[in-house]
Amino acid sequence: MSLSRTSSLARLAGSVALAAITAAGAAQAEGTVTIGRTSDADRYDPQRSSALAAAEVLYMMGDTLVTLSHDLKTVEPALAESWELSDDGLTYTFHLRKDVTYCDGKAFTAKDVVGSMERWLTPEGPYVSAWKAGTVDSVTAPDDYTVVYKLKSPSSGLLYQMAQFNFIIIDPEQAASLGDDFGVKAFNGTGAYCFESWTPNDSLVLKKHEGYAWGTAALGNTGPAKLDEVVWKIIPEEATLVASLQAGEIDGTYALPAWAFAQFEADPGFKLIQPVASFRTHYVGMKVTRPFMQDIKVREAVSHAIDQGAIADAIFFGTVKPAEAYYSEDALDFDPSTDLAPFAYDPDKTKALLEEEGFTMGSDGFWQKDGEKLALTYYGFNTSREQAEAIQGDLRKAGIDLNVELYDSTAIWAKLREQTYDLYQMDYPYLNAGDALNLYFSSDSIPSPNRMMWDDAETDKLLAEGNSAVNDEARAKAFMALGKHLHESILWKPLLLEKPTVAIGPRLKEFQPAGISGAAFGTGLNLELN
Amino acid sequence: MIARLLRRAGISLIVLAGVLLIGFLMLQVIPADPAVAIAGPQGTDDEIEAIRRHLGLDQPILLQFVWYISRVVTGDMGQSVINNASVSAELLRAAGPTIELMCAAMIWAVPTALALGILAALRRGGIVDRLVMAVSVMGVSVPVFWVGLLMIQFAARTRAFPIQGRGGPLWTAEGLSHILLPATALGLILVGPVARMTRTTLSDALHADHVRTARAKGASELRVVLNHALRTALLPIITLVGLQVGTLMGGAVVTETIFSWPGVGRLAVGSIITGDYPMAQGAIIFLASAFILVNITVDVLNELADPRIGSRS
Repeated sequence: MSLSRTSSLARLAGSVALAAITAAGAAQAEGTVTIGRTSDADRYDPQRSSALAAAEVLYMMGDTLVTLSHDLKTVEPALAESWELSDDGLTYTFHLRKDVTYCDGKAFTAKDVVGSMERWLTPEGPYVSAWKAGTVDSVTAPDDYTVVYKLKSPSSGLLYQMAQFNFIIIDPEQAASLGDDFGVKAFNGTGAYCFESWTPNDSLVLKKHEGYAWGTAALGNTGPAKLDEVVWKIIPEEATLVASLQAGEIDGTYALPAWAFAQFEADPGFKLIQPVASFRTHYVGMKVTRPFMQDIKVREAVSHAIDQGAIADAIFFGTVKPAEAYYSEDALDFDPSTDLAPFAYDPDKTKALLEEEGFTMGSDGFWQKDGEKLALTYYGFNTSREQAEAIQGDLRKAGIDLNVELYDSTAIWAKLREQTYDLYQMDYPYLNAGDALNLYFSSDSIPSPNRMMWDDAETDKLLAEGNSAVNDEARAKAFMALGKHLHESILWKPLLLEKPTVAIGPRLKEFQPAGISGAAFGTGLNLELN
Repeated sequence: MIARLLRRAGISLIVLAGVLLIGFLMLQVIPADPAVAIAGPQGTDDEIEAIRRHLGLDQPILLQFVWYISRVVTGDMGQSVINNASVSAELLRAAGPTIELMCAAMIWAVPTALALGILAALRRGGIVDRLVMAVSVMGVSVPVFWVGLLMIQFAARTRAFPIQGRGGPLWTAEGLSHILLPATALGLILVGPVARMTRTTLSDALHADHVRTARAKGASELRVVLNHALRTALLPIITLVGLQVGTLMGGAVVTETIFSWPGVGRLAVGSIITGDYPMAQGAIIFLASAFILVNITVDVLNELADPRIGSRS
């Protein structure tokens, strides 16, 4: 009996498997594209989320006033077809397109821009990243298609910042009526796709916005979208994500783990594509107020001891580039004459510099000065354990002891405010040199995010000059000089330059990925089926 | 029996209160701060403070707990601090897929394990017995995520089965094909222990007096094994399966993550990572209640199968 029971079970299993095989064929509907990623956003409200996971979907559901060219160097029209800046650099006047409508059919007017900005800049409100808006004096609408954006102090980077997803124009009436459910239960935008449904941590469905015709010409298709439906699917396990792409259950992803690149490169059915420009730099910051780190020669010695090329090859399988500058050499306002020699891997120079500074090699294999061992403390993210290990190995080989402490991404921000470490490692996205310089080096940003404790009058002066510049030449001149000055001061050791890589399967046509905010699928207007 | 059930329910309430308190304290210990996570790496102190105020996280922890308890007692599990979704609604949505997955795992795993166990007991000491026991030990020792990843590799290569997500209700072809891989991976946890228990209890029962009597009266082997021996051996097996439901729930957390199954396990993991206290608490309460419920059911079943248990206490 037991035998016959198992065999009938086997027959049952066989028929179930057969049913599954026939069902697996019809994976995706025609006109629908599924994009896989590993994590979901907290909410899809451009003013209340700082997550990339929110940005990439919001760019499909809404538009900004202006956007940037593929190389991120030129400001391009979007909802605003033209704009002027007053001579004092304080007043921007935007002229809006008149043919724009929201997904619910409502016409888009200047009142919506004013409403969006007012909500975002509400004092004490739960809104994020409001510093990107500059020191706003007022945002007003003299008529339905004109917006006057007044600043208290000039901000040469404002138009570039306005391309960021936080500036996506929302439907202020909907935001007011939905309250905390805005961007969760619904989102009414002017984008190429419309919000259909969201199941948190599972999937988000977008439907084509019929009649959309206001895309930016410089970026490709001006509309309408060529797909009927886009599904953003959450697949938390990396290995499953890779397998799903292989099996055709998803059509594309930017969240491919570095170890999987080679197998898709080798497969003619798949393509790996990158934006023209999209910047994220990994670096090791040095706290200049710490005993050893006060000495610029010691900072340079540390810099020469770390082999960023080996990290790029061994840990990232060559999918990122080793960096030798604080921000990409392709970024707007990078001065090509900046001296990058201090950031090259050269352990012999480490030795020479330390000897020059009066260090002697101790019997334990570490340098010492006045009886004190050259031992440094390093804070990093627990997700970058391998990088930390490589850096620790490089420094120990060069005779510098490194005490590594790694923290979870939710705990590290408080730890980084302490004054008990010498080096810290992190990565950051930026649009251009001005964006990068403003984030980290001003003395106003001490102790965070200026974790180097870099308090320098020259830096503050050049930063103010660059920010208040009213034309491109003046801005470039100040930021280039500042960049040079900061590289000469050796405050960071640049490690890696990362660009998002999009992997697409056989159903999707090759397209030019977008670069702003790392949201590689952009507005989705250029997505097309084969 | 009713009185005993009521007493069990009373004890369960105390256990549940303990789970609530420990869950809350543990969530306070983990360093995830939802306000910091929402504001992002470039968030300023003022922004983080404003978000914390908006979410009510600026209140003393004890006060937060008291408020939470007073709401839970009235049946209101609160809202997610991350996306304002109603915790009870999210749990209700996720419970279906999890129950579905666990049932699908048990539907194939329990009969298979029983069959394997019976086979091993009948051929005790033989090659079949050793083979079955080897497979069971392997099933117990191999972690479910490893089996899951192997199956995914296999499915990606052959494209025979959908790898991730839920296709729909179980009775549709789409739903059935999607549940196949996760249910197989999850069920494997169950096969080992149940097969071993079946083998042990059944081979004891096969030597019992009443079985010998049945044989002597000329009953067929089939009747002897199924009606006389297995029936007495069933009791510890039912208990074991009940206890294994807890393991199965733990396995479901892993299985759901690997196969992107939209169940309670993933809800719990996701909310713990983002520091979504109300949602994580809700998921913990749900899993604990389910475990308690299964245990009570097992007790009742045991009593029905063996009236002596009831009269003893």
